[in-house]
Amino acid sequence: MAAAVTDQLEEIDWENPDQVGLWQDAWQRFRRNRIAVIGLVLVTAIALAAILARLVFALHLPILQDYLQQDPANADLSPFHQGHILGTDELGRDILSRLLYGAGISLTIGLLTQLIYLVIGATVGLTAGYFGGRVDNLLMRFVDVWYAFPDLLFLLVVVSVFGASLLTIFVAIGLIYWVDLARLIRGQVLSIKEKEYVEGARATGSSPLKIILRHLVPNSLGPVIVALTFGIPRAIFLEATLSFLGAGIVPPTPSWGVMIQQGYESIFAHPMEVALPAAAIAITMLSFGFIGDGLRDSLDPRMRR
Amino acid sequence: MAAVTTGAPARGARLSFRIPRTRGASLAFYIVRRVLWMVPVVLFVITITFVLMHLAPGSPWDRAGGRQLSQAVTDDLNVKYGLDKPLWNQFLIYLWNVAHFDFGLSYQYQNQTVTHVLLESWPATLTIGALAFAFIVPLGIGLGVIAALRQNSAIDYIAVGFGTLGASVPNFVIGIFLIIVFSVEAYHLSGGNIFLPSGGFGWNEHLILPVITLAVLPTAYIARMARSSTLDVLRQDYVRTAWAKGLRQRLVITRHVVKNSLIPVLSSLGSIFALLITGSVIVETVFAIPGIGRSFVVAVSSRDYPMILATTILFSVVIAIVNLVIDLLYTVIDPRVRLS
Amino acid sequence: MKGVSGRLRWLPITAVSSMAAVLVAACGASGNNGTSGMAPNGQQILRTNSSTEPNSFDPGQTTYDYEGMIVRNVFEPLLKPKPDLSDVEGAAASSYDVSSDGLTYTFHIRQNAKWSDGQPLKAQDFVYGFQRLLDPSLASGYADPFFDLTIAGGANYSNVDPKNASAVQSFIQGLGLSAKDDHTFVVKLAAPAGYFKWVVTLAQAAPIRKDLVGSNYTSWASDPTRVVGNGMFKISEEVAKDHVTMVPNPNYWGDKPHIQKWIDYFIADANQAFSKYQTGELDMLQVPLANQDTVNSDPKLKAEQHKYPSLGTFWMAPNIQVSPFNNVHVREAIAHAVDRNILVNSVAKGQYVARTTYIPEGMNGYTPSLGSVQDYDPAKGRAALQASGLPTSAYDHVKLLTRATTTNQLVNQYVLNQINTNLGVHWTLEVVDSKTVTSRIRRGNFQIYGPDGWGADYPDEQDFFDVFTTGGCHGLNWGCPNDKAYDDLVSKGDAALKQSDRQKYYDQAAKMMEDQFWVAFLYNRYDVTLVKPYVKGITSTGIDESNYIPGDFNTNTIFIASH
Repeated sequence: MAAAVTDQLEEIDWENPDQVGLWQDAWQRFRRNRIAVIGLVLVTAIALAAILARLVFALHLPILQDYLQQDPANADLSPFHQGHILGTDELGRDILSRLLYGAGISLTIGLLTQLIYLVIGATVGLTAGYFGGRVDNLLMRFVDVWYAFPDLLFLLVVVSVFGASLLTIFVAIGLIYWVDLARLIRGQVLSIKEKEYVEGARATGSSPLKIILRHLVPNSLGPVIVALTFGIPRAIFLEATLSFLGAGIVPPTPSWGVMIQQGYESIFAHPMEVALPAAAIAITMLSFGFIGDGLRDSLDPRMRR
Repeated sequence: MAAVTTGAPARGARLSFRIPRTRGASLAFYIVRRVLWMVPVVLFVITITFVLMHLAPGSPWDRAGGRQLSQAVTDDLNVKYGLDKPLWNQFLIYLWNVAHFDFGLSYQYQNQTVTHVLLESWPATLTIGALAFAFIVPLGIGLGVIAALRQNSAIDYIAVGFGTLGASVPNFVIGIFLIIVFSVEAYHLSGGNIFLPSGGFGWNEHLILPVITLAVLPTAYIARMARSSTLDVLRQDYVRTAWAKGLRQRLVITRHVVKNSLIPVLSSLGSIFALLITGSVIVETVFAIPGIGRSFVVAVSSRDYPMILATTILFSVVIAIVNLVIDLLYTVIDPRVRLS
Repeated sequence: MKGVSGRLRWLPITAVSSMAAVLVAACGASGNNGTSGMAPNGQQILRTNSSTEPNSFDPGQTTYDYEGMIVRNVFEPLLKPKPDLSDVEGAAASSYDVSSDGLTYTFHIRQNAKWSDGQPLKAQDFVYGFQRLLDPSLASGYADPFFDLTIAGGANYSNVDPKNASAVQSFIQGLGLSAKDDHTFVVKLAAPAGYFKWVVTLAQAAPIRKDLVGSNYTSWASDPTRVVGNGMFKISEEVAKDHVTMVPNPNYWGDKPHIQKWIDYFIADANQAFSKYQTGELDMLQVPLANQDTVNSDPKLKAEQHKYPSLGTFWMAPNIQVSPFNNVHVREAIAHAVDRNILVNSVAKGQYVARTTYIPEGMNGYTPSLGSVQDYDPAKGRAALQASGLPTSAYDHVKLLTRATTTNQLVNQYVLNQINTNLGVHWTLEVVDSKTVTSRIRRGNFQIYGPDGWGADYPDEQDFFDVFTTGGCHGLNWGCPNDKAYDDLVSKGDAALKQSDRQKYYDQAAKMMEDQFWVAFLYNRYDVTLVKPYVKGITSTGIDESNYIPGDFNTNTIFIASH
């Protein structure tokens, strides 16, 4: 099926080289990047597993406290014991089903918050960097203020004002870390905008928006993708912090962040309770990192043949 | 202006200013202006923090459990700390005091000035943060640049793998893992002869594990960032030209590649430095370090208003200074960027 | 003060009960009766962890258990509990008399008692210490209800304007506190209070030297190393947020401590502290629930583990003022829905003891015959829900409020699961930061809350029953029942002069609580503490802070054996 789509795109490519060509060409190059494809496959697999887990377990298995496991004389939380492939946690709950169920929650939070960062961060960063001067000064001082701000206090207040809900989680997390991205993008723009091709575009009277979209965005993509990739686990961990404040995912519903946080407490006794969710996050991140690298390489105009 | 901008006359709205003639004077002029800007920034931070603080549920006298203070005692405490006055009045009094560098008494550490508590706890944080930074910069940049120069080689994969692991395992887990290996297990295996202290502050040995823990994530991040931007730079025309002209490899790399790839890394380094010296709650807690990060979180969760405000002010000043330094560094690294 | 989560003045306990007595015999025996094998002075160093830095070293300004533990060793109150908790024994006072009407207490201060700077201890120092404690401008957390409600003239405490210096002075001078001579301290009570002898064992009831306080009324103890006390130890060094070091007070009247240097760390992170214990950098450590499995599976650690019963009872607290918990049957259903045995053995790994009555085992007034009405019985629970006459919708979606601590969450997820499974309802948790929880409870803004409980300030029942009186809710409002009949029983118990009469009233009050299901009782707790084998001579007293340092009422008997 992928082949069919590409064939189609290739035709269009000839008719409209300027518009579609970039994306068509990018997809071509992305496909050839084996590591990037592995990343894409992994992410798809995790997402499918998460959806499937939600349909199959419907939160029953992940919170089922298997009392047999809790008989202190026979307590055995280890893998493969009594049909629990990855073992059970201290309350006798199956870890594999919790991991899979938690995947849905943690991935949604990790990804959606990156989108929020990107929208706010890119808007502020591009504006400040491109226009410079007073605009830049004002925006950057605002960033200073935002940065100095006590996260914990901010979260506490957001939580108490909006109450605990999924929306609160996105608002709270989304409003916190965009500043890093804004500063990063601004720095990128500053160094790129004096380049010949940007000066050239400006000289030919291109509108600022067009210059930003056509030149500045693709050229500052690399570091931004790295920042976003690293932002995913950060958001997942932040969600765990939020649950401490009462706005995260409410137990017993599992999320990766909460699983790690709880596992930390008993790390001497049950190290797997930390290791497994951490491994899940690592695989997810690695996959997104691969995809990100692939995207950067394929979107880079200089790489076009 | 803020930071960096070009001297392009087309947008020279600021030409109405008398622009100092020499570069030195212009630099001084710029720095003074940025420092003056801190006043409104700090004022703004105080205002928002003050509002947020009082919006947060719970009062300083609510206890984390058990028998609560009686109304009579609570009322008396409010009088003692001036919390019986209307909020706007408290706010003005606070501003007036801050203008005299009086940050008040901590609620939590009774009868100790906030300034005293901050001065007690900041040095530990500074020591660990600065040391970690000293590792992050060369390690992160070095690893990233080398990985990019040898893309898809073993070292590249190691760098990417390290970067991923470093970010997918939270600080506190890395910390306790190091403690278990280098402290507890080392103690057991060596019969108590060779092991690192698991935590605390005071001797040099105490610094090793927390500094490593603190440095892992930022090093990973900087390495990935440097790798990515180096790859970008390697594809730039001027680098290709330099290679084509047959310039010596080392020269190309140092003069063109590294320098240019540092530009995006620089702003991230700024953020990281600011974060490090304002303290990591997690590392300070896991390693029992009497630092400012932990004391700040304790202040927030116990609603120690004067501590919250003073720490926030300190942080905002530190961050503003770091950002100023970063913007100045841009002009050094990238000559095209000029201060206006 | 009493509380529950570890941060509070929460009173752990040891000994006393039969079970506890065995433990004491086991680990205390080597200690009390001799100091054989004692290491030389240079090795008499004790390293403990009390988790949190004291907010103050001024007895009048302390409220938490980790502060009380240190302050009690630096300042000696008039009396202290006997190790078996059956009664009090002399401390700074060698003895005391009570007038026949129970209103006048006369304490005889030891002739040879001295301050750490060598000055003699005087009755006037207690007068000043108590007056200062009740000064509204100091706003001491322990002034109410222990002192203002007992001492004659104190009832007006809440009406005094702290900004009006002359009103404050006349209030203080009007209190029933006086020094008959340098060694006779007299306290007049407002009403008979059989428990007053316990009130004066509180760390806050310390003598204070007026000449040292001087004009630094609130800040005289800001530099801990300059604090002058009359206790066994004095503070020699304090490193902020890290540790405090104590050395023997050379002028202490009694047996001087064997320990030459007591370093008490403020390590908050349980894993960090556990590592330090394992690498030999701490000599004593409370075992957190999460690490219990590690201790159980390690023979060496297991041998170093001691269990000290803790004088505290934990429960789930429904908000009696609101639907559906204003219906006694719904409250009853919860009590029957939770299997305490699995809770204490599996979830709590043996750190708790199942209990469905108020007064914990080991405390004066523990009545084993009470409590069966709240036993686990799911069928009874479901029947009670039916009997409530409420539509299912009234109780199907209740929110269970809990503090965001790991231990709480583990217990709570278990309790929630039990209620949902056994009663067929769909309750959910609300996990919130501690201060928010407190502020919501104080405003009655919750449906059901827990687990929370009460730890003894002193081993007298009055301290427990006071909690549920209308006036004694102290803003706790765990759905305060506000029941006049209960209040009457408790005040009769407080005032009765004969212990057997007191017991009669208190037992009736306890039965009332259980039958009305004001709370669903769950468990008592042990303090499970690791103690290095070379630490000897621990004299557990039943109510000491055994989660930080067992035997802290008699620290002078602890010593380090050669090892």
